[in-house]
Amino acid sequence: MTTPLPIAASLAAGALILLLTPMSAAASGGGGLGGGALPPSISAPSYDPAAEYQRGLAALKDGKFKDAERSFGNALSVDPKNPDTLFMLGMARAGRGDEKGAAKAYDKSLSIDPQQVPARREYAVALAKLGQTDKAQAQLAMLQQKAASCAGSCPQAAELTAALTAAQAAMTPPSAASSSVPAAATAPQSATPDAPAPSTGAPPNPTPPKTLSLLLTDPTSGDGSYVDAVRLINLHRYHDALDSLAKARVAFGPHPDVLTYTGYAWRKLGDYARAEAYYREALAIAPTHVGATEYYGELMVERGDLAGARRMLARIEAVCTFGCVESEDLRRWIEHGPPAS
Amino acid sequence: MDRARAARILKTLRWPAFAGFLLIGAVGPLAVLHPARWLAPGADPVGPLTSTFAECARPPADPKDAWLFEVGRAAFRTPELLGGQAARAGLACDSCHQAGRRNPDFFFPHLSGAPGTADVTAALFSSHRDDGIDNPKRIPDLSEPKASLKVPQDPASGALAHFIHGQITEEFDGAEPPPAVLAGLATYVRSLDPAACPTPARTSLRVADQVDDARRAVRAALGALDRRDAPTAVLMIEGARWRLGLIDERYAAPDLADAREALRSADLDLAAALTAVRDGDPHAAVRLDLWLARSIAWTPRLEREEPRSLYDPARLAAAAGR
Repeated sequence: MTTPLPIAASLAAGALILLLTPMSAAASGGGGLGGGALPPSISAPSYDPAAEYQRGLAALKDGKFKDAERSFGNALSVDPKNPDTLFMLGMARAGRGDEKGAAKAYDKSLSIDPQQVPARREYAVALAKLGQTDKAQAQLAMLQQKAASCAGSCPQAAELTAALTAAQAAMTPPSAASSSVPAAATAPQSATPDAPAPSTGAPPNPTPPKTLSLLLTDPTSGDGSYVDAVRLINLHRYHDALDSLAKARVAFGPHPDVLTYTGYAWRKLGDYARAEAYYREALAIAPTHVGATEYYGELMVERGDLAGARRMLARIEAVCTFGCVESEDLRRWIEHGPPAS
Repeated sequence: MDRARAARILKTLRWPAFAGFLLIGAVGPLAVLHPARWLAPGADPVGPLTSTFAECARPPADPKDAWLFEVGRAAFRTPELLGGQAARAGLACDSCHQAGRRNPDFFFPHLSGAPGTADVTAALFSSHRDDGIDNPKRIPDLSEPKASLKVPQDPASGALAHFIHGQITEEFDGAEPPPAVLAGLATYVRSLDPAACPTPARTSLRVADQVDDARRAVRAALGALDRRDAPTAVLMIEGARWRLGLIDERYAAPDLADAREALRSADLDLAAALTAVRDGDPHAAVRLDLWLARSIAWTPRLEREEPRSLYDPARLAAAAGR
C-alpha cells in the first residue's frame, strides 16, 4: 500500500476543541491543580499543549494577555521548541507591553523555524519599539530578501507584503508615526482586560495587537487549512501542503496530527532530519500517536534502520487493540521496503 | 471502569489514531463509535446507530462460489481492504453501502454534500481521481435491480471485478487486493438481489449479528488456509478483529468490564492466529477452529449485557444526551 495519509476529514468550528476536551480531562492529574501529598517530581503539572495553545489563543483574542502568556507557557512546558507557541507567547507579551520579553520569544521562535514571516515581522516591530534599530533593520532586510525571491508568486506573497509594510512603519520616526494610532489602542475595551506593563509607559492595550487578526484563525479556517494540506499532500504538492500546515499550526497549536503531517511532507521532500524532528515532537506530546509512530517507522525503513522500524511496529501493535491499518502498512514497509511511487 | 480501560478509551479519544482528526467533535460522547463519526452534525444518531438495512443477498450454492461470497462479504466490511486514508478513518465499503445497500445518513466532512452523498473524485482520499470539483453524488444502492446499476455484473465480462479493483487501488489508494478477495467482492456484489430483500427493510443492530459477522470472517479465513491463500486469510482475520472492535465500542460503560474482557481475550486469540498465518505456522487453522469454538462460550455473555450497551436505543440516546 502506498503510504496512505491520515484522514483529513474535519468538521466545522469548534470541532477540535471538542476533541480536546477529554484530553484535557485526562491531563488534569497534573494541569496545575496541585499535587496534594505527592512530591513535586510526581505531581508536576502535565499539560496538553494543543489545549493550552487554544486557551492561550482564546485569552489573546479577549485581551487577557496574562492568561494567554500563562497558557502558552504551559504548552511550552511540554513542547518547549514549538515555534508557533513561542510566537504566540511573544504576541501575548507584546499585548501587555513587554516588548523585551516579546522580542525574546520571537527570536527563539525564529531560531527554530526561520521561515516564519509573521514572527519575523513582529520581531522587527518589537526591536524597533525597543529602539534597537540596527537589529530591526536586519529583520526587515531578511523580509525584503524573502519577498524578492518570492517575487509575488509564492504562497506567502501577501503575508510578505503585509509584513514589509508593518516592519517599515514601525521603523518610521515617531513624529511621523504619531499620526497613525495603532488600532489596538483605539479599539473598544474588553470586559476584563489585562493592564499593560507599567514600566513601558505604553498606552493601555486591552485588545490584541492589530496584526493578530491576521493570525488568529478560528478552528474553521484551521480545519480548512488542514484539509487543504491533506489534499495537497495526496497530490504530491508538498511545499504547498507545508504552507497550509503552517496555517493549521497557527490555528491549532502543537497538535500531533498537524505535526505528523508536517513531518510527512518534509520526509517526502527528502528532508529526513526535519521530518524526524516533527515526528518526535508529535510523539513527545502524544506518545501513543499511531500515525506519528507509523510514519516515524517508515522514515526508519527509508534510512535502513529496520530494527528501529520494528520497534515502532511493536509500539503500534501494543496500542492498536483489535488491529489497525497503520500496523499493516508499516509491516508491509518493513517486509517489502518503500512502495514504488 | 478499570483504570487501564479508562486510560485506553481516553487515549482513543485523545488522539484518534490520526484518522478522524477533527471528526470526533461532531458527535461528542458518541465519538467512540466509529459509525457515529460519519453522521451529519446535528443528526439524530439513535436510528442510524441502532438499526441497519437488512441484507438482500442470495449466496451461491456452489461451494467454491459460496466461499468467495463469504470472502467478499467479510472484505466488504473491512477497512484494511481500502487502505489509505479511508481505512484510517475506519471506513469500509459497507460504511457507504450498508449491508450492500446504501447509507442515507452517511456524511463525511469535505466529502459529502447532503447526507447519503459522497464525492469520490476528491483528493482527500485519492491521489488518482481528483477532479478538482466539489461534486458529491448520491451513494447508489447496490441491491437495486442490476439494470439500474452503472457497472455490468455479467461474470463473463469481468467489468465488475475491474471496477472494484479500480475503486480499491485508485479511488481509495489501497493496496493490490489478493485475487480471491477481488473475486469474492465481485461474487458478493453480484449476489445482491432486490428480490432477496427481507421485510422490513431495516432491522435492529444486534450484537449477535456482529459476532456472527466475525465468525463468518474467521470461517472464510479457514477456507483461505485450506487453499493455501495466506494473504486472503490475513485480511479475513483482520476483518474479524475489526468486527470485535466495533462491538467493544458499544460496551464501554463501567459496568460492562466482563464483556470487554471477553472481547479483548477473543481479539488476542485472533491476533495470535494472525501471527501464525503470517509465519506459515501449520497450526494456524487449529487456532482459528479453537477461536470459533470459544466464541460460543463468550457470545451469550455479550447478549445478556446487550441491553446495558450502546446497542440499546435508550442507552444510546442517553449517551448522546438526547
